[in-house]
Amino acid sequence: MTPVVAPVVTSQTVAVNRDVQSAARAAAARLRAEWASRGILAVNLISSPGAGKTSLLEATACHFAGKRKIAILVGDLATDRDAQRLAPLAPTVQLTTGGACHLELPLIQRGLDQLGTLDCEFLFIENVGNLVCPASHDLGEHVRVILLSTTEGDDKPAKYPKAFRTSQILVVSKTDLLPYVPFSVEAAIADAHSIQPDLDCVAVCSRSGDGIAEWCELLDWHRAALNSPKPA
Amino acid sequence: MHEASLVRSLLNQVTDLARQHGGGSVTEIRVEIGPLAGVEPLLVRSAFEQLVCGTELDDATLVIDEVPLVARCETCGEFAVDGFRFRCPGCDASRVTVVRGDEFRIASFTFAETAENPI
Repeated sequence: MTPVVAPVVTSQTVAVNRDVQSAARAAAARLRAEWASRGILAVNLISSPGAGKTSLLEATACHFAGKRKIAILVGDLATDRDAQRLAPLAPTVQLTTGGACHLELPLIQRGLDQLGTLDCEFLFIENVGNLVCPASHDLGEHVRVILLSTTEGDDKPAKYPKAFRTSQILVVSKTDLLPYVPFSVEAAIADAHSIQPDLDCVAVCSRSGDGIAEWCELLDWHRAALNSPKPA
Repeated sequence: MHEASLVRSLLNQVTDLARQHGGGSVTEIRVEIGPLAGVEPLLVRSAFEQLVCGTELDDATLVIDEVPLVARCETCGEFAVDGFRFRCPGCDASRVTVVRGDEFRIASFTFAETAENPI
C-alpha cells in the first residue's frame, strides 16, 4: 500500500510593531537634523484652502527683507500662481502634486534639488490647502504652523484635532475681518489649547501687517531654540 | 484620501518581511489604528481589498485592531482621552503625552509553512 503523504501546515506569527510610515519618518528626521546643523529652521505651513498661507509668506518675506534669508517650497494641486507671487521676494520652487492632497518627502526632495544649495535661515514649506492629510506627513520640519482664518469659524480646532495636536504654532489670520464675522480669537485659541496646550498663538493681518512682527519674532525664537535640548 | 498609499506601503513592508522569513504564504496581517492615526479603518480595509489582489499576499486576511487614544499624565498615570480633550481626569493637567492611538501600526503577520510529511 502506498503511504499517504499529507501536507503539514504550521503557522508562525512574526511581531513587527512599527508604524507604517516609519521609513518616511526616519527620512524626515534625517532632513530635520541636517537643516538644524546648518542653522536652518524648516517651517511647514498647513491650513484649509484660502486661509492666507501665501499672503502670510509675502508679509513674512517683506518683514525679513535684508535681515533674514528665506527660501520657499510651495505646494498646490495645479498652477504656479503662488510661486509667481513669492518668487520676486525669495527663492521659491512650486511643487504641483497633480491630484495629491498633501506634500510628501519625494516632492520635497525634488523641490530642494531645484532650489540648489540652501543659503537661508528659514525654509518655508507651504503645504497643499487641507487640514486632514498634511497632518499625517512629517516633512522634516522643526515647526508645524497651522493657520486658521477668521472666516472659517472658531470651532475648527476640535473638528480637525490631529492638525492642531501636531502643530507648534497657531496663526489666526485675516483679523481685519473680525468686525464682520462671528469669530472669537479667544474661543479659537482656547479650543486649540484644549487639544495642544503648548501651541504658541499669534493673530495677524497679512494685508495690513498687524501681528507680522510678533509672528516673525516667534520664528526667530524657534530658530534660536533649534539646537537646544527640548523636552520629549 | 491617503489610505491607499499607506496600504501600498503596508503591503510592500509585509512582502519584504515575509521574504526575509523564508517566503511562506502570509495568511494574516494584523494592524492597529488609533483615533489620532489620521486614517479611517473602513477606507484602509477597502484599499487593502483592492490593492492585495494579484499580489503574493493575496491569501492574507487583514485584521484591524482599533485601539483607544491613551495619554499619560506624569502625576496620575495613563488615561483614555475622550473627545480629543487632552486633559487628565485626575488632576486636570493639560500637559500630557500620547502613548497609544496616534499611529497606524503594523502589529504582526502570520505565515504558513508547508512541509510534506508521510503519515
